[in-house]
Amino acid sequence: MSAITVVAADVGALLELVPVQRAGIALLLAAVGLPVIGVVIVGLDIMPVRFAMMHVALLGVAVGLWTGLDPMVCALLACALAGGAVAPLARTPSGLSGAMGLLMSLAIAAALLVLAVSGVNASGAFALLWGSILSVGTADLVVLGVLAAVVPALFWWRRRDLGLLLHDRELAQCSGVPVRALTLLLLVLVAVSVAGAIKLTGALLVDALTLLPALAARRLGSSLTSITVWAVTIGVAVNLTGFLMALWLDWPPGPVLVLTAGAVVLAVHCIPERRDRSWRASASASPPAAPSLPSSH
Amino acid sequence: MGGLDVGLRQVVCRHGRVRAVDGVDLEIAAGERVALTGTNGSGKSTLLRAVLGLHRHSAGTIRVGGREAGSSAEWAWRRRACAWIPQKPATGRFPLLGRELLASGGRLGGADRGAAVREAVEAAGRLGVAEVLDRPLDTLSGGQLQRMYLARALGCVAAGAQVLLADEPTAALDFAGQEDAARVLAELPVTLLIVTHDRALAERCDRVLEMAAGRLREVR
Repeated sequence: MSAITVVAADVGALLELVPVQRAGIALLLAAVGLPVIGVVIVGLDIMPVRFAMMHVALLGVAVGLWTGLDPMVCALLACALAGGAVAPLARTPSGLSGAMGLLMSLAIAAALLVLAVSGVNASGAFALLWGSILSVGTADLVVLGVLAAVVPALFWWRRRDLGLLLHDRELAQCSGVPVRALTLLLLVLVAVSVAGAIKLTGALLVDALTLLPALAARRLGSSLTSITVWAVTIGVAVNLTGFLMALWLDWPPGPVLVLTAGAVVLAVHCIPERRDRSWRASASASPPAAPSLPSSH
Repeated sequence: MGGLDVGLRQVVCRHGRVRAVDGVDLEIAAGERVALTGTNGSGKSTLLRAVLGLHRHSAGTIRVGGREAGSSAEWAWRRRACAWIPQKPATGRFPLLGRELLASGGRLGGADRGAAVREAVEAAGRLGVAEVLDRPLDTLSGGQLQRMYLARALGCVAAGAQVLLADEPTAALDFAGQEDAARVLAELPVTLLIVTHDRALAERCDRVLEMAAGRLREVR
């Protein structure tokens, strides 16, 4: 009993430290915006996007180091451009996944070339991509705050269009959804968010913040809206639990958050699949024998 | 009788090197009902998709209501004017509720969107799929999904669509369902182009065309 009190006091003391408070706020903000991005990643089936964007970000960093511009701004810009550039390949179902692979190879090759030509130490460039949650600055909080506001707002505003687009591109096209513009916007948003998240929290944490909540939510929700709400809920719960647990056990937050999120995904997949009712049950209850079917307008 | 005329001239659609549709000429008068039959892989679905601009590698002239489509605004008009029942309705990569599918048809209306959606929901009721509206489409049976797409198409017509392109709209239905769907389709006040292997449905059409190896010939 007394041990628990001591531990609680320890965590309480840690929570009074400014970097810890910032980290907590950053994780909360990230938990609102990033799981929604994860829903898009799962919906568009572009899981390799994280790896692709990491490599593109590295290219951006390399170009930044070479030209003397801010490497992180260059990285975000490079990711936004890359996201936009692969949008035309979304026309075919498998186009995007393949495009991510191609992008990854080209970006890493170009990055290594730029680093070699400019004579910059490559490990210095890589180091920028291993962010740390405890070194979050005000600018990072602003980026996360903007994402936390813009991403869910966009989702709510365009939820019908997004639902159709993520369900089936051709159906969306025939339903008057501006498919091309929306895909472009989504990919740029995904690219920038992933790049931003990598910078803030390191490549490992991106999964915990974006993909894993969405993967669990995909299983729990039955429509775009419910999946998105589940993703954000799981994101907030996982981030809070994981962060407090990391403080309590004095373990590094990144791996603890990923493992917590991973445990939630596994637990959710162990729940037997919930289908409201079998289609057989309702099919037998609905003989479509109404005599006056048509109605002319 | 409503509807728009549809005109195809020297339409060619390619799948890689194969000419799936090979120089098709077709004139359909406003309000006419045309059945398109033929063996599997003869290019029927591709032809329908070309009218909607869903098949990218196509050439020739396609006019609906006398209008060609080139710019995205023109395609948007074309897709508003032509309702579509796809051959294999996608169960989708991501869940979509039945109700959301029906509401998507209502997007087409320049007129009263709410009324169009109501019509689609009512049609779903008449077609016996009212109780699955709040279920994700991937949990429906093939027949239920097809009825849902039929109801959506009726909503599109209520929203102002004047042409219906239906790709095997009765293939997944039981005999009673086929009868019902055929009657509903035949009584719609629009131009109909139906790809079908269903003799009863073809019987209700004004003309029957047969497609073979990408070419078209008039049967009746």
